[in-house]
Amino acid sequence: MIPGLPLAFAQPLILLGLAALPLLWWLLRLVPPRPRRVAFPPTRLLFDIAPKEETPSRTPWWLTLLRLLLAALVIFAAAGPMWRPPVAAGTGNAPLAVLIDDGWSSAASFDARIRTATDLVARARANGRGIALVPLSEPNRDLSFETPDAADAHLRTLAPKPHAVERAAALPAIGRLLAADPAAEVVWLSDGIDLGKAQNFVTGLARLTEGRTVTVVTGGVASARALTDVDNAAGALGVTVLRADANAASQGTVRALDLRGLPLGEAAFAFSGNATDTTARFDLPVEIRNDIARLEISGERSAGAVQLLDKRWRRRTVGVVTGATADTAQPLLAATYYLARALGPFADVRLAERGSPAEAVDHFIDQHLPMMVLADVGTIAGDARDRLTRWVEDGGVLVRFAGPRLAAATDDDLVPVRLRRGGRVLGGSLSWEEPQKLASFSPNGPFATIAVPDDVTIRRQVLAEPDATLAEHTWAALGDGTPLVTAGRRGKGMVVLFHVTADTRWSNLPLAGTFVEMLRGIVGITGQQPAADTETADGGTTESGRATQATETVAPSRILDGHGAFGPPPPTAKPVASGYRGRATADNPPGFYGPPEGLLAVNTLVPGDRLAPLDLAPLGARVEPYRTAEPVDLRGPVFLAAVGLALLDALVVFWLAGGLSRGLARLTGARRASAAVLLGLALGLAGLGPQPARAQPASNPTADQFAERATATTRLAYVITGDAEVDAISKAGLEGLSVFLSQRTALEPGDPMGLDIARDELAFFPLIYWPIVPGAPKPSAETLARIDTYMKQGGTILFDTRDAVEAPPGPGGETRSPGMLALRGILSSLDIPELEPIPREHVLTKTFFLLPDFPGRFSSGRLWVEAIPSADPDEQEMRPVRGGDGVSSILITSNDLAGAWATRPDGQAMLPLTPGEPRQREYAFRAGVNIVMYTLTGNYKADQVHIPALLERLGQ
Amino acid sequence: MAPSHAPGSQTSVTSDHERAALAQASGASRTLAATMPRLVLEARRVAATVIHGLHGRRRAGPGENFWQYRRFVSGESAADVDWRRSARDDHLYVREREWESAHTVWVWPDRSSSMDFRSNLARDGKLERALVIALALGEVLVQGGERVGIPGLMAATANRNIIDKMAQVMLHDPAARASLPKAFSPSPLSEFLLLSDLWSPIADIRATLARLSAAGAHGHVVQVVDPAEETFPYSGRVEFVEPEGAGAVTAGRAETWRADYTARIARHRDEIRAETDHAGWSFLVHRTDKPATDLLLALHARLTAGRAAVRPARGAPTEAAPA
Repeated sequence: MIPGLPLAFAQPLILLGLAALPLLWWLLRLVPPRPRRVAFPPTRLLFDIAPKEETPSRTPWWLTLLRLLLAALVIFAAAGPMWRPPVAAGTGNAPLAVLIDDGWSSAASFDARIRTATDLVARARANGRGIALVPLSEPNRDLSFETPDAADAHLRTLAPKPHAVERAAALPAIGRLLAADPAAEVVWLSDGIDLGKAQNFVTGLARLTEGRTVTVVTGGVASARALTDVDNAAGALGVTVLRADANAASQGTVRALDLRGLPLGEAAFAFSGNATDTTARFDLPVEIRNDIARLEISGERSAGAVQLLDKRWRRRTVGVVTGATADTAQPLLAATYYLARALGPFADVRLAERGSPAEAVDHFIDQHLPMMVLADVGTIAGDARDRLTRWVEDGGVLVRFAGPRLAAATDDDLVPVRLRRGGRVLGGSLSWEEPQKLASFSPNGPFATIAVPDDVTIRRQVLAEPDATLAEHTWAALGDGTPLVTAGRRGKGMVVLFHVTADTRWSNLPLAGTFVEMLRGIVGITGQQPAADTETADGGTTESGRATQATETVAPSRILDGHGAFGPPPPTAKPVASGYRGRATADNPPGFYGPPEGLLAVNTLVPGDRLAPLDLAPLGARVEPYRTAEPVDLRGPVFLAAVGLALLDALVVFWLAGGLSRGLARLTGARRASAAVLLGLALGLAGLGPQPARAQPASNPTADQFAERATATTRLAYVITGDAEVDAISKAGLEGLSVFLSQRTALEPGDPMGLDIARDELAFFPLIYWPIVPGAPKPSAETLARIDTYMKQGGTILFDTRDAVEAPPGPGGETRSPGMLALRGILSSLDIPELEPIPREHVLTKTFFLLPDFPGRFSSGRLWVEAIPSADPDEQEMRPVRGGDGVSSILITSNDLAGAWATRPDGQAMLPLTPGEPRQREYAFRAGVNIVMYTLTGNYKADQVHIPALLERLGQ
Repeated sequence: MAPSHAPGSQTSVTSDHERAALAQASGASRTLAATMPRLVLEARRVAATVIHGLHGRRRAGPGENFWQYRRFVSGESAADVDWRRSARDDHLYVREREWESAHTVWVWPDRSSSMDFRSNLARDGKLERALVIALALGEVLVQGGERVGIPGLMAATANRNIIDKMAQVMLHDPAARASLPKAFSPSPLSEFLLLSDLWSPIADIRATLARLSAAGAHGHVVQVVDPAEETFPYSGRVEFVEPEGAGAVTAGRAETWRADYTARIARHRDEIRAETDHAGWSFLVHRTDKPATDLLLALHARLTAGRAAVRPARGAPTEAAPA
């Protein structure tokens, strides 16, 4: 392994061969190339030729360099170079002790650790060495060297632990293990994180491994990051992101999830420079923040990157104590009601329900509430007062509201400013002509960001003694400058005084939205909670006394695994004291404990924890990084390069020997040939390119054949429906009609053709017979467009629903038969002109035969044609025939014409007729003739019927 | 080639190569000879030897072909009378045949180790090519009725199986392979064909040619070269080794030697050509990347045309390769 370069050699000793290169250089430079020996009969004549200068007796320097490089490459390749070599362990037969960090800090990169360990085990198997896997989280394990197969099985069971591992605890076991074999080697697959006491382990290990080969594998993978110190502050929820060193990724996101795992928000963080901690802030509404149960670093799969939040973080609990005894009489007007409503959205309000204010205060102090509101409490008696003072000095926030009792109280020192007491208190008398308005908020206090409302009026207040410090204690002031809210620090805590009552007797402040904002501000500054919220399962009541709390335990319910995923608690997890605030341990893995309504979060890291990089200096070990990629054997490429150089050398020698000019003629030939090959290749490729484009013309032959067949002679055509029986009848029917046409008319049509309506060209056919099959799928939009085009360009389609007998009886029943409905489905997308039952004087009735109607197999159906403009009544008499301007593009019948025309090859009819009148089939054929003639000749007959009249006119 | 230069082993090794080359060449030469028209040397120069040959002397003499009928001269043997002809009239006739005689051609394929060379620019080695030409020419000549011999190895003969005979003789030659024939002097009216790469020192060549042509024999000198030996396609640092053990030279950048080498080759050839012209012989250069037929055709033409055809070309360089 070369430091700084992931390159290693399997046989480094071979590299000594590089030392022979100078000798090679000397030889190459000194010895001229050996001449070619040629037996040449006229050599005697050559003796007479004056010898030329022997120029190339020495190899040119660059050729020598080329050959030296070639030799160097061969030596290099023979030494077995390997890019990103696997972690090196000695190649001896001594057993190998593999220490594996498996605390939470190893979880994110645990795969790399396992991969390295697997590799070590595999090579131990190859070398026949014993191996011992020592997960440092299990100090009590009985360690021994085992076979690589057993170690492999053991390795598969390893998983990172969710808690911090005290490595030093494993030292005795390691000592016993190493004592068993003095030659054993040690490999430590470290995570590189120092959680505080790692140095003990490093020095201890150094002592144990004196004189042994120690390899520490660390780095090469992203260093672990962790979360700690969640702070649900006033404006935002902040969480501290930790990292051990600047190698870890310096940017990322922290995700906030609720208890069900739904994401609530994300916050980005970035480490600046070499800083090892930074803060991510969630600027979310407090109600949403209160729902956050889990914070995690996106993409960091370790228990340390997860912080679980229980109710302690969710809201601050505020105890409300009132001095009034009659409050409960009108609870909706009581100060406690206003306070509870105002504090409710962002704080957990607890009301003192019983007893005197002193008892309530005592109670709340026992509960270690961070904030207490005393609404018009005058004097607190006894030692409760001392406790309250201590509580404030220990960090409690005491908010007091004025009132008659406060005003009446004497020697009350739990106020931020001195109040005017005694007769000077303006309790009951009106001091002003008109009520004062709230005028300003102090920029120093928590109200700085609140907009000053103009609807808050103060009618009564307690006044402060004006002194020099009054202004800096004032958080809010009235229009005349007198303070409305004053505050003062006391010890670590704070005392805040509202100079009005918490109910509406003195002012309408409790009714204003500003009141909520102000209380929120005060709750926001409530600093460190002096003690844990000792909320228990029943929520409100609590036991008194620390002793009972310490013994109160809650059972694990959802536990994090090493990768930071929730799971059921493992059997080794033990219940935790309900007031537990420490780090997670092996017995108490991180996770939620207790019942769902009172979860207790135990986290891997506690506030104040910091990560530090591991200092391996005392160990004096070889340090290698983890391998994130497979090793690459460079022998092949290097040998390939050597072969390439050899080829180059051969070419150069060939050229030097004058072969270039000799081979030029052949070479140019070859070049021409290769150029031809290239050209051919290019043409082939070019030929491949437009292949799809030529696919269209390629399919032309069949289309051309179709067009040839269709246009060689006039043909009738039918649409292939896909129903074999219907298609056979269509074909036979049109064949029969074709025969009939040949016999009776001048038209001798060819054999009828079946059409695939979706693909075949329609324009070749004057008439297309389309039998409708009920339930047939509707043609595609493209097909419908083709049909439309055909009809618009003069083609005629004869739709035959073939179901005149199935039509419901009654007027109009014909149009409700199943075939008609199917046909309607087809035609609904087409641009169909107005239709009408064929009128008597329609030209279709006279194009060849004179026909009153158009029977087929059935005679009850009618033939529908495009409506032609009704004749001028004046001309009605004179014109027995009407025809439109063109040919009706659509004919619809339900009489199954093809069924009537269908004949077998022997000339017999295929299908019986209904009702079977004597000449029905003859008339059916005649109808067909008329239709064909109509499509071929148009309205020509409409004029022909006038010929007698015209002749008569001409004749005279 | 084995690095050893011990004479004995060299011989044996060389014979191995030679055997392989001969085995291939005898087959190749047969097919090559089958494609050639009958090669009949021009008869004018044929010596009046008693040896029967196909070169008609345009006068009556011993031979097979009819020449003329002449009147019977008294004193002749009555057996000479051609009775069939004499029966037609009142005179007696004697049937005379044309005097026909054979020509002698000496062929020298260079089998020294310098010939055992083939660059990748050519399909055949020089030795193989020289043997193919020698054997094929022998076959063609024998078919034409001539006699073929190898100086110092094989007396001139018209054996039908000339290829096998030549190959056997060369195989069983115990002597060291010399580049040029030594101590041989052809008869004045014979033809000499020298197939060699001619990379020996010019003094040797000069002496050999002088000796061969001293008696007045006519001849042809063919230099068989590999294309690499002509174009010198070498570059870079090259050590050139003489295969016959004459030494080695190292060129630092061989490509810079090319121009000098080409000039040196040309000078060498000019000197050889001066010698051949002096003796009235012809000089051909044959590259082994050219087909053997080229050389065989050229030789065929020269042998057929004879001295008269060669003479006017004197002084102008002649190349075997038509292109």
